[in-house]
Amino acid sequence: MSISISVQAKDFDLGAEYDRLRSIGDGLGAIVTFTGLVRDFESRPEEPQYSRKLTTLTLQHYPEMTERLLSDIVEQALTRWSLLGVTVIHRIGSLSPNDQIVLVGVASTHRHDAFQAAEFVMDYLKTRATFWKKAHVDGQEQWLDAKRSDANAAARWDDIKHD
Amino acid sequence: MLNFLFFGRLGDLASGIDKAHPYHIDLATPLAIRNKLAEQHPLLTKELSEPQVLVSVNKMIVKWDHPLFDGDEIAFLPPVTGG
Repeated sequence: MSISISVQAKDFDLGAEYDRLRSIGDGLGAIVTFTGLVRDFESRPEEPQYSRKLTTLTLQHYPEMTERLLSDIVEQALTRWSLLGVTVIHRIGSLSPNDQIVLVGVASTHRHDAFQAAEFVMDYLKTRATFWKKAHVDGQEQWLDAKRSDANAAARWDDIKHD
Repeated sequence: MLNFLFFGRLGDLASGIDKAHPYHIDLATPLAIRNKLAEQHPLLTKELSEPQVLVSVNKMIVKWDHPLFDGDEIAFLPPVTGG
C-alpha cells in the first residue's frame, strides 16, 4: 500500500505523481487522478447573478490537524474500496487563477474502485479537512462560505458502505 | 495557560484578542470561553455560536462542554472550504 499525503505551499507535478502511483506494480490496473484548479471568478450558488473576477486565493489551514484528518479520510477510503495507492496533495498560501490547488490520485486493480475512492476523498476533503479560502475579489478580501452542494456531495457516501 | 486559535473569518473578528490566557477554573470549557468573550467581543461570540462552528482541543474535535486543562490548545473552526 502506497499512501502519500502532503500539505504544501509549492506546486506539484501531476506527471511525477502519476508515475509514482504507476510504479506500484503488483496488480495495478487503474489510476484515477483529479486535479483542482483555482477558478478566475467567484460565484455564489444562492445568488445566480453574482460573479466577480478573482485575482488571488489564499489558503489557510490548521497544521497537523489537517494532515491527520486527511489520513483519516484516506483510511476510510481503504476500508470501502480495494486500493493499491492513494496520493493527496493540497496547497496552502497565496494562489492565482489557473494554479493547481489539490491533487487526489488513486491506484487500484479495477477502475471502479479508483473512480469511487477519488470522488469520496475529494468530497470528504472539501467538507472535513481544516482548510479555509480567502478570495481577493474586486480589490477586497473575503472569506468564502462553505457550499451546501459540497455538504450534499459528501452526505451521499454516508449511507453507502460499499458498492 | 490556555492557547486559543481562531481560523478563517473568526481570525479577523478575534484580531484584538490575547491568544494566550492564564488557566482559570471558570474558563474550563470551550463554552465558558465563548460566553466570556461575549463581554468584550459580542460579534465574535455571535459567530462562534453558529451551529456549524466546531471547536477542537489539542487538535481533536470536541463538544462545547469538553473539560479544559492547563496547557490545552483550543481552536475555533468555521465551516471548512478547502479543495
